[in-house]
Amino acid sequence: IMENKPVWEQIGAGFVQHYYQQFDTNRVLLADLYTDASCLTWEGQGFQGKNAIMEKLTNLPFQKIQHSITAQDHQPTPDSCVISMVVGQLKVDDDPVMGFHQLFLLKNIDNKWICSNDMFRLALHNFGC
Amino acid sequence: FRMADKPIWEQIGSSFVQHYYQLFDTDRTQLGAIYIDASCLTWEGQQFQGKAAIVEKLSSLPFQKIAHSITAQDHQPTPDSCILSMVVGQLKADVLPQVLGFQQSVLLKRCKEARVCTSEVFRLGLHNMG
Repeated sequence: IMENKPVWEQIGAGFVQHYYQQFDTNRVLLADLYTDASCLTWEGQGFQGKNAIMEKLTNLPFQKIQHSITAQDHQPTPDSCVISMVVGQLKVDDDPVMGFHQLFLLKNIDNKWICSNDMFRLALHNFGC
Repeated sequence: FRMADKPIWEQIGSSFVQHYYQLFDTDRTQLGAIYIDASCLTWEGQQFQGKAAIVEKLSSLPFQKIAHSITAQDHQPTPDSCILSMVVGQLKADVLPQVLGFQQSVLLKRCKEARVCTSEVFRLGLHNMG
């Protein structure tokens, strides 16, 4: 029951669910989750600010993508942010399923939780089944 | 590459990560120095709060020998002047029949002249990464 979980888990889990749902259906809408101070590291490449991040995400070379979360962990930070670490699998177009790792730092700005830091890595080897 | 050419947060993050795994692999009872009472660790989904609880958990992990190898690491500065690091790698412990993948994240905060780890999350890869 969501209400029984610590508030940072509710925030983190809510964000993560929303993020991947948007990513998988219409990733243009992810723009709402970043600000000009946000950083993304995508497979080792750095992108600074909402515009650069959205350009990267919207230009990723696939038509269809589907994420599935294997595990997620959420923690409060001393500065009232939330850290969320996700491990899961994704399927792009007709490619084989691949594992991925992602880390988010969430910050509350004007009563909205945005992503200030985002790191994404594919798992080097197929997680298999 | 030359360390000096990398952004400061990458230098700090990668030094910390190197130090962390070196300590972990040689004598993990020494890891106490990197945590404070406000530190949180989530280890395989279980939460541990504060230096003492964290060191107790890490020291009592059921293996004698362990070796970590880093596959990839990413570092970023955070809005609150901390450094956030994500590591993906493999580990081999004497009690495990095979190499396992792992994912770890740490949030580093400046504390006097040093960096301490205020938040840490660790997960084993569910399937062998090899």
